Amino acid sequence: MLADALDHLVRGIVDNPDDVTVDERSHRRGLTLKVRVNPADMGRVIGKAGRTATALRTVIGALAGKKGGVRVDFVDTAEH
Amino acid sequence: MSAEDTETVVETSEEVGIDSAAGEPATESVVAVETGGESEEGPTLADEGDVAADYLEGLLDIIDIDGDIDISVANGRPAVAVIEVDKGDLEHLVGPDGSVLTALQDLTRLAVSRETGHRSRLMLDIAGHRATRRAELQRVAQQAIAEAKETGAPVRMSAMTPFERKVVHDEVAAAGLTSESEGTEPQRYVVITPA
Repeated sequence: MLADALDHLVRGIVDNPDDVTVDERSHRRGLTLKVRVNPADMGRVIGKAGRTATALRTVIGALAGKKGGVRVDFVDTAEH
Repeated sequence: MSAEDTETVVETSEEVGIDSAAGEPATESVVAVETGGESEEGPTLADEGDVAADYLEGLLDIIDIDGDIDISVANGRPAVAVIEVDKGDLEHLVGPDGSVLTALQDLTRLAVSRETGHRSRLMLDIAGHRATRRAELQRVAQQAIAEAKETGAPVRMSAMTPFERKVVHDEVAAAGLTSESEGTEPQRYVVITPA
């Protein structure tokens, strides 16, 4: 659910929504969501002074609720 | 050509708009410069509301929460409100001091501007949070206005968010007094000056 929500939120704000993928990994300390976007969209997703990345993390953190411990990473599709 | 090019100009940052409105009555012409978005035939406010509603509805579907979405225009801006169906359901989307609401508003504005190609000044409300806060602030502002009138001295309010300061500026202007914001975010506050 969190990965789907993040996928939706990111797709809506980028120029290349088809290139967006969210990869979910759970580990003992919580969950990591890795968002991949087209390199051209990286700036959009991070935002001025990281504001957009922070907004995405804030919303996902709120959706995760008390369980907490969700980490959101942003990488571009050129990276591995 | 209509001489009224002020008509097409989107209002500037909220506070500049207020200050000039409350300030010299003569400067009717060139007030708005900041946006510079050259919005000739920009998207209508209703279009913005529709894009925003789609974005938010998609999110509500995924997290499986019911919410009605209300689209309107307030003070020349599109306003979108997510209304709670089951009480308490949307609380976490408001967050402490509306922090999650602000984040969602940022994202919604980006989604809108991606579609329209124009910067969006859309206002988002969730579960009546802003509406409630506005009513509280109007009460507080009225007290401060009364104090400024009585004492004839400037009244300094506590630190507020841009939205909150805008509500206060509006109240003050309506009362015929002037106000300005001072300090830097997030410690920016309104000072009310008697007439």
